[in-house]
Amino acid sequence: MMAEYPLFFAVLIPVCILFGFVTAGSMLIWAERRLLGLWQLRYGPNRVGPFGLLQVVADTLKMFFKEDWIPPFADKSVFVIAPAIIMTTVLLSFMIVPVSPDFVVFDSSVGLLVFLSLSSLGAYSVVLGGWASNNKYSLLGGLRAAAQMLGYEVFMGISLMGVVAMTGSFRLQDIVEAQRGMWNIGPQFIGFIIFYIAALAETHRSPFDLPEAESELVAGFHSEYSGLKFGMFFVGEYLGVTLMSSMMTLLFFGGWLGPVLPPVVWFFIKTTILISSFVLMRATLPRPRYDQLIVYGWRVLLPLALLNLLVTGGIVLMFQ
Amino acid sequence: MSLERAVIVDLQQRFGDAVLSEQATADSISTIWIHRNRIVDVLRFLKSEIISPYKMLYDLTAIDEHGRKHRANQPASRFTVVYHLLSFDRNQDIRIKVPLEEENPSLDSATSVFANANWYEREVWDMFGIRFTGHPHLRRILMPRSWEGHPLRKEHPARATEMGPYQLPEEKEAKEQHDLQFRPEDWGLKTHDENSEFMFLNLGPQHPGTHGVLRIILQLDGEEIIDAVPDIGFHHRGAEKMGERQTWHSYIPYTDRVDYLGGVMNNLPYVLALEQLAGITVPERAQVIRVMLCEFFRISSHLVWYGTFAQDIGAMSPVLYMFTDREYILKIIEGITGGRMHPSWFRIGGVAQDLPLDWQKPIQEFLNYFPKRLKEYDTLVMGNSIFKGRTVGVGAYSQAEAVEWGVTGAGLRATGLDWDFRKKRPYSGYQNFDFEVPIAHNGDCYDRGLVRIEEMRQSLRIIEQCLKNMPAGHYKSDHPLTTPPRKEDTLVHIETLINHFLNTTWGPVMPVNESFFGIEATKGSNGYYLISDGSTHAHRTRIRTPSFPHLQMLPLLARHGTVSDLMATLGSIDFVLADLDR
Amino acid sequence: MLIYFYINAAIAILATLLTVTAKNAVHALLYFVVSLLALAISMYLLGAPFVAALEVIIYAGAIMVLFVFVVMLLNVKPASSQKYAPQGHIKNWLGPFSLLILLILELVFVFRDTEFLKRQVVTVSAKEVASALFTTYTLAVELTSFLLLAGLIGAYHIGKKRN
Repeated sequence: MMAEYPLFFAVLIPVCILFGFVTAGSMLIWAERRLLGLWQLRYGPNRVGPFGLLQVVADTLKMFFKEDWIPPFADKSVFVIAPAIIMTTVLLSFMIVPVSPDFVVFDSSVGLLVFLSLSSLGAYSVVLGGWASNNKYSLLGGLRAAAQMLGYEVFMGISLMGVVAMTGSFRLQDIVEAQRGMWNIGPQFIGFIIFYIAALAETHRSPFDLPEAESELVAGFHSEYSGLKFGMFFVGEYLGVTLMSSMMTLLFFGGWLGPVLPPVVWFFIKTTILISSFVLMRATLPRPRYDQLIVYGWRVLLPLALLNLLVTGGIVLMFQ
Repeated sequence: MSLERAVIVDLQQRFGDAVLSEQATADSISTIWIHRNRIVDVLRFLKSEIISPYKMLYDLTAIDEHGRKHRANQPASRFTVVYHLLSFDRNQDIRIKVPLEEENPSLDSATSVFANANWYEREVWDMFGIRFTGHPHLRRILMPRSWEGHPLRKEHPARATEMGPYQLPEEKEAKEQHDLQFRPEDWGLKTHDENSEFMFLNLGPQHPGTHGVLRIILQLDGEEIIDAVPDIGFHHRGAEKMGERQTWHSYIPYTDRVDYLGGVMNNLPYVLALEQLAGITVPERAQVIRVMLCEFFRISSHLVWYGTFAQDIGAMSPVLYMFTDREYILKIIEGITGGRMHPSWFRIGGVAQDLPLDWQKPIQEFLNYFPKRLKEYDTLVMGNSIFKGRTVGVGAYSQAEAVEWGVTGAGLRATGLDWDFRKKRPYSGYQNFDFEVPIAHNGDCYDRGLVRIEEMRQSLRIIEQCLKNMPAGHYKSDHPLTTPPRKEDTLVHIETLINHFLNTTWGPVMPVNESFFGIEATKGSNGYYLISDGSTHAHRTRIRTPSFPHLQMLPLLARHGTVSDLMATLGSIDFVLADLDR
Repeated sequence: MLIYFYINAAIAILATLLTVTAKNAVHALLYFVVSLLALAISMYLLGAPFVAALEVIIYAGAIMVLFVFVVMLLNVKPASSQKYAPQGHIKNWLGPFSLLILLILELVFVFRDTEFLKRQVVTVSAKEVASALFTTYTLAVELTSFLLLAGLIGAYHIGKKRN
């Protein structure tokens, strides 16, 4: 069918992916608050619409109608660009995510690398947002973010190379197909753990929410942001969580593979479970100190990731 | 000759005429008047030159003697500066008084002897206008810099209505604005050294990590704290000044609000000091009820500390669990007292009411429920390796530093000093209870936490003993100064009826004397120093709170740590801003 | 395809020019990032997606973030860059200008042969890049790694706490 109407599908797929993921990302705001409520002996938002589902709509409307304020002391152009960067990079990243064998916007032979490069560009958003606000708390948040994201990107990339070595391809569809026998979570368990930690750090989610550590830096890099620009940071973070969970599903949990149910459903189920685990982390763990985080990354995760790559490479060569 | 006498004799031999006289007080703390010229030497002598020295400056305050009628055998004085020293070896206190006769007096600063004299002297300057020569940074501490007058002087009005309407003309506004501007030099901070230019971070007064209106000026090199200067007074409400205009009885609700997490625990030192002053013996049942409620409030306060401490470290959930448990305690307290946070339930000579019917049931349920929760929190918070990484070795001080800076409570016990006023100077019948005093040895954030958590378990033990052994009898003394007297008796005795009438209309008239009482409160040692001039209200009410010296120590703990460490340290100190500023 | 290339090349040149002329250090760095991104797209269009991705990951995503980080740390204010503005003196211009002329001549010399423009674009896979690096260019790779190691040790030495 796709071959018959190429143009139609060329438009349909991006639109579906875009709306699907953006909706999922914003629904996640509601889901997180409800889940946290469940785990913290309270209700969470339950007033707007059934189960509080329309809370997202209410919040979005509120953000749209808020005054779009730029502090007079800020660097205006950079201040405006910063939140756009995170939305752009995360949304662009979704183009390489195949939710089912054919359902992908951009079938790239280096899909995984495109993901890594876009996520590395995402760091600018936080760093520049912190700098442009011209506020000391924001600056400290931005500095923390820069050091954290720079470091954790390195391990994130290397932790995935084990998967690439096993598959022999950067193409995400190939990686998923290669997991028909066994999901990568088995042989690449260490790789998964490192990637999971790096993903938490990349999306600066608790326990790695140092750039916006509430008890220390008020709201860190986005202290000065309000209205829609704050909304972009906010939704960008949730989209980042969705993206990271989708990537983990594809790379370690066999993507759309699964019995009986259609591929898209399997993809959706796995991603949702992973997203919930992000929320569970937030409910459970305290926050490490900035230097501890950096030291942990470079002294523990980096050698571990390299070792994982080395062993995987050795085994792959042995069975060739 | 007792140790106490020996010190006085020593002082007289050593300082001769500088020892002016002795004064007898209701609290039987040796009170000695010293001439202003030798005060620093006397303090140094008591601190380091005698056997079993008085190592801690427990309190430093002043009295405005203006209008005080009954001062028999006391040297002439317009203002009296009072030093309250504590000796751990002797388990004794000594009070040194210095008479000052001028209208704008000055006195040598004791900062060279006791490090924590710094803030206390600033407070005395701020409140009384007594200058301390040689003080490194003598400026207002609780009042705004533009404030005119010194509030605790008798001529300063206590009510806003006595001051005329508030006005803000342009020049005053400009002056206030000017005062608000931040100039590092004003705070004794350098803007740069040979290697780097420092960044100044203004943490607070509105900041999620400071638990209230507290401002800390941080001098940063990167994220490393070079120096920290706390700026306090935003929560000052003149609690001591109010003590001079409220009757003895009607002041009780004000005490509740000093450490607003401690509830009736704040009433206790006040009523104990008054009972000591008036010589009231409290019936056993009232004592046990008081102990039980105090221990409930200790747990409740520690729970708030525990949750917010975890929150400061970045753990989101514990605070919500702990507030749920605190709600449980508040329900029990509401069942007994009718109030929740500020029950104001203790009375001079007893408590407000007898325990309600069937009071045991919810308490027994709580005793069954809570230990399991504490265990769970140990795994969730104290056992977490990230949490340990943030708190072990952070914000540490030695025992000697703790004593030097006037630290009491869990902060002192975390350095290995087994000092709990409930054990060392039992009050309200604590000697009859079986409980242990938990200590730890490293004096860091983690150990302060450990001590408090174990304290909650010990409090549970005490509550259990109260539950099992609640004595029968009256909940109020039959002393005439008990306020209000027992209603049943007023229907039988005309004497009691008269007392009831007087005490509830004018308020009770306390005998002329001075009385101090310090207890082991939730955050450290809380004490009330009351001076009665034979009227219905105090001539001077001094509230010695633990948060004040604890926070004064902050720069010492913050230096060379990061901003994150500062937050862990702040969380572990367990302070309440109202307790700090009063 | 060619039209994309030209648009892209124009962006690259413009961004590079703005990098040099921008007053604000952070703005200059941002233009530089744009220029690097444009270069990456050029590489992709020329059939080297692997190199394009690496360019973004390493240069645009890592090294330039580091630059921004440093500029933020130093807190360079726009005014302070005025000090280093060109003085207009002829002898300040002479050296760089002659080098520029040399570079242009070199480029003209290289592009005289237009044969390669007619070649079909062939996608170079990651595997080919890797085998080229570890066979044909082993020596260059090793030398580069030495250079990086030297840099690493140097950075460690400078960063070590002075007592």
